[in-house]
Amino acid sequence: MRKYSENIMKAVFLTAACVSIIAVILICVFLFASGVPAIKEIGAADFLFGTAWKPGQDLYGIFPMIIGSVYVTAGAVIVGVPIGLLCAVFMARYCPKGLYRILKPAVDLLAGIPSIVYGFFGLMVIVPMVQDTLGGSGKCLLTSAVLLGIMILPTIISVSESNIRAVPEYYYEGSLALGATRERSIFRAVLPAAKMGILAGIILGIGRAIGETMAVVMVCGNQAIMPQGITMGVRTLTANIVLEMGYASGLHREALIATAVVLFVFILIINLSFTALKRRAD
Amino acid sequence: MKKSKLTKILTISLAAVMAFGLASCGGGNSDSEGTEGGDITVISREEGSGTRDAFVELTGVMQDDVDRTVDTAEISNSTSVVTQSVAGNEAAIGYISMGSLDDSVKALKIGGVEATTDNVKSGDYELQRPFNIVTKGEVAELPQDFINFIMSSDGQAIIEEEGYISVNDTAEKYEAAGLTGSITLAGSTSVSPVMEVLADAYKKLNDGVTIEIQQTGSGAGIQSTIEGVCDIGMASRALEDEEASEGLESQEIALDGIAVIVNNNNTVEDITMEQIMKVFTGEITSWSELQ
Repeated sequence: MRKYSENIMKAVFLTAACVSIIAVILICVFLFASGVPAIKEIGAADFLFGTAWKPGQDLYGIFPMIIGSVYVTAGAVIVGVPIGLLCAVFMARYCPKGLYRILKPAVDLLAGIPSIVYGFFGLMVIVPMVQDTLGGSGKCLLTSAVLLGIMILPTIISVSESNIRAVPEYYYEGSLALGATRERSIFRAVLPAAKMGILAGIILGIGRAIGETMAVVMVCGNQAIMPQGITMGVRTLTANIVLEMGYASGLHREALIATAVVLFVFILIINLSFTALKRRAD
Repeated sequence: MKKSKLTKILTISLAAVMAFGLASCGGGNSDSEGTEGGDITVISREEGSGTRDAFVELTGVMQDDVDRTVDTAEISNSTSVVTQSVAGNEAAIGYISMGSLDDSVKALKIGGVEATTDNVKSGDYELQRPFNIVTKGEVAELPQDFINFIMSSDGQAIIEEEGYISVNDTAEKYEAAGLTGSITLAGSTSVSPVMEVLADAYKKLNDGVTIEIQQTGSGAGIQSTIEGVCDIGMASRALEDEEASEGLESQEIALDGIAVIVNNNNTVEDITMEQIMKVFTGEITSWSELQ
């Protein structure tokens, strides 16, 4: 009897596991089945390296968007990583207990805010700030980078913090015993030991930044041209899809799905490197 | 005393963060863009938007089937974001449906003609387009009754109230047929607001009816009608040949003006069609050329 019920439960668990796998496979099949023919029709080189995106004239080059995505993500890393990493060090090593009880939920809350709310915050606060100080319209690479930098903070902070905490205490104590100062012990003994985990956190943050859509589309200006400076507008891959999907038809629609294929490959690479790093960290 | 490598990296990144901070706090030497002589920030809609299609065609931005909208134009994918962007930027110019116009921005006169419903109706205001509904083949009883309501004097009155222009002045009053069921509409985000008001009024007259309105954009709405996913499609542009060949019927339900909007602090009041074309194709880049 017991074995019987055990088998039933096994089947239930297996089905649950299958659902997520099937979902991934279905998404893959859908994306590639509808995206790849479009890439073929446009021509892989014209599609990936073409610099003109003018669906009205049958020009579908997504190179500006690829570069846009890369720049915006790099900007987010420049803004988010130093702040996130130092915050994680503070939380794991310096933070008084009382403050931690406020700081930790605050960081978690930051992760839970819907991206459209970040977008509004960017549009109402960061855009006018950039507009007033640097001129231009304020919807630009810099604004998107700052906004995304804030958005990836919680990912970087929580992953880094748990990895710093996972470093055995005797690393720190040993370093102190050798005469190093507290700071030196943390930055020279503890952080290097947690290096791989922290890097994994950063990669996870990059994944979030490159896939972010709603917030970016509101503050990046969305010009489908090669980025010409940090106060000029850019369009990311995600923005390209969400902007035009509602109205697109025919080859235009397929080209947008093909854009999603490119994005999917990006995310795939990021996730693979995350898994590889994590394996090395363990 | 050798500084460690990690400390160095940290110092550099800290410096970078501070530089960012400085840039956003200080650096105010480039004055905020006045409207007197500043550069124009052009705000357009995304490719495929019904409003954009109508705008570029009417203003001549579209020439020989080529949309010449300047590359550096900011692209927004909704009317509200265009309004918000123009309200927040003194140097911006954009265009939205006249029914969505509010006090946060200023509509320019075009060739001396103010953007009002009367001027659209009389044809003096040139920047106008039709709102269409599309159906496929034989229309079922209930959707047809809803269309009758839209085209009746009651429906047309609602369209006028919402700031759009009615197309049928001699329409008769609508009488509820007492039908029940559900209707699905899909399509243009420009047509949807007025359609929702129409649907509410219709539901008040016909108790057992539910109406679902999906804001998907003109193209997607027409596509859904072809596929039979929705009963009635909404489009803020005329049918393309490709679409008409699928056996679709389109019907004009209202007219809408497209308002060219600028910031409330902008001193420019009047613009000509040719100037609009030049601004949106990038030939005119400074407000001083429009004074």
